Amino acid sequence: MLLSLPSFMKSESATLLMIMYGVLVFATVLFYVWGRVAPAANLTELKLRTRSWWVMAVIFSAATVIHPIVTFVSIGFLSFAVMRELFSLMNLRMADRKAVLFAYLAIPVQYFFAYMGWYISFLVFIPVCMYVCIPAVLVAEGETKGIIQSMTQLTAVLMLSVFCFSHLAYLLSLPELPGFSAGGRGLLLFLVFITEINDVMQFVWGKTLGKRKIMPGVSPNKTWEGFVGGVISTAFLGYFLRFLTPFEGWQAWLVSLIVGIAGFCGDVIISAIKRDLGLKDTGSTIPGHGGVLDRVDSLGVTSPVFFYLVYFLAYQFNV
Amino acid sequence: MKRFILFLLYRIFGQFVVKGLLGISFRNTQHLSRYPQFVLVGNHNSHLDSVSILTALPLNIIEKVHPVAASDYFGNSRRRAFWTRLLVNAILIPRQRPQTPGDPDPIKLMEDALENGESILLFPEGSRGKPEVIQPFRKGIGYLLREHPEIPYIPVYMKGLGRCLPKGKNLLLPLKGEVIFGEPRFCQGNTVDQIVKEVEFSVKFLDDLAAPMPNWDRLEIA
Repeated sequence: MLLSLPSFMKSESATLLMIMYGVLVFATVLFYVWGRVAPAANLTELKLRTRSWWVMAVIFSAATVIHPIVTFVSIGFLSFAVMRELFSLMNLRMADRKAVLFAYLAIPVQYFFAYMGWYISFLVFIPVCMYVCIPAVLVAEGETKGIIQSMTQLTAVLMLSVFCFSHLAYLLSLPELPGFSAGGRGLLLFLVFITEINDVMQFVWGKTLGKRKIMPGVSPNKTWEGFVGGVISTAFLGYFLRFLTPFEGWQAWLVSLIVGIAGFCGDVIISAIKRDLGLKDTGSTIPGHGGVLDRVDSLGVTSPVFFYLVYFLAYQFNV
Repeated sequence: MKRFILFLLYRIFGQFVVKGLLGISFRNTQHLSRYPQFVLVGNHNSHLDSVSILTALPLNIIEKVHPVAASDYFGNSRRRAFWTRLLVNAILIPRQRPQTPGDPDPIKLMEDALENGESILLFPEGSRGKPEVIQPFRKGIGYLLREHPEIPYIPVYMKGLGRCLPKGKNLLLPLKGEVIFGEPRFCQGNTVDQIVKEVEFSVKFLDDLAAPMPNWDRLEIA
């Protein structure tokens, strides 16, 4: 049976899917009306974000109804798209092309480990194996001019686009906990949902109350009011959604708070990278040029942070 | 039959590979449907250039657009010429004007195609060269458009494709690139040189629309 409605559709995941679609519909309508009422407000970024969250919501629902492997392949493709975008923007050399190929080939391997639930292999593959492999391939090419930049950039891109994002997929391979029925699917939905809400909340708080700039050199639209308001709202929402997680009340609150802060960090880190590459100002003005990275920047940092918080609080290091 | 092969190759397989996997994006493709017949003129850095332009074409004209390929390279064996004609829908022309009477004339071959109502895709740089470096345009395009001022030309500018598949390399890498089409226009100049200048400028002008993209060749030691 490929298309059966499994038992968990009646449970927490179904509730969350409904909430998620509800919020997405609400957000879509809200930004549409807001754009109509106040055409001066620049909501392009927010609208694009909502659109990409729609895509993700559909993918996650498809995975819930069809097969979990859909999720692994989709998140793997997300890693691929992020990596392709970063490589395209970076100052690499023609001599790095073979190492770039190896970096791409690391994606299926890492997601295979995540799918099989081989925890140690999953942990070691990128930061140890690929960390050695990539420089070795570069050296074998025999071109040493500019090789330091290439070594560091290639491995850093691998860490961000593959290692960090693959934690999203590994959530699905975590063993079952007694008395917790939502499982990895619930955790994944919780994380994506909290990250999304955090982005939106920070934006809304910043737009309405924002005065004091938090780091004008990196991201001129980020304010202290938006940051604090967003993180606290996220923490409260996380507290109410704790039925998707194995956490107790205070744990859910704390985890959502930390995820909120991590989401902010992801956002500004990617902003800084793009600014250094000279893309920040052109990126949003030319239509269709905002890449996938702009959409999922916060998720790259929140996923490993959330994963290890789950690992520590719920599994007590026993996987 | 040929139409079906081209449809399968470019509309199905090409869309998936070129857009989805390699990440090459097309801009202003609406310019391709304005006139039934045209001469596409582009810069040339990679074998991917013709493939991605064919992928961008609307289905109803896909078999009418013929990339122009050098016969000394693509026609050096019978088999290669056959596959190039079938899969890329190409016209093979010599790079030089006829040296001895009886040799095929490249301009004449292109004119024949235009007179049959077909469109052509021409890379006036002559060869692929280094990525992101535009070599001076050769004069063939000038002769062609001077004889056929009633046919519009469409400038097309490709950026980043020379990183995906540079000259002399076999490794195809997924990296973002752009194919930008300009507005179709009729040549203004009267002499060959004027037309060549005009076309060259209209191709280079499209660079302003392209997203910034680092040149990977800058550190390469020659």
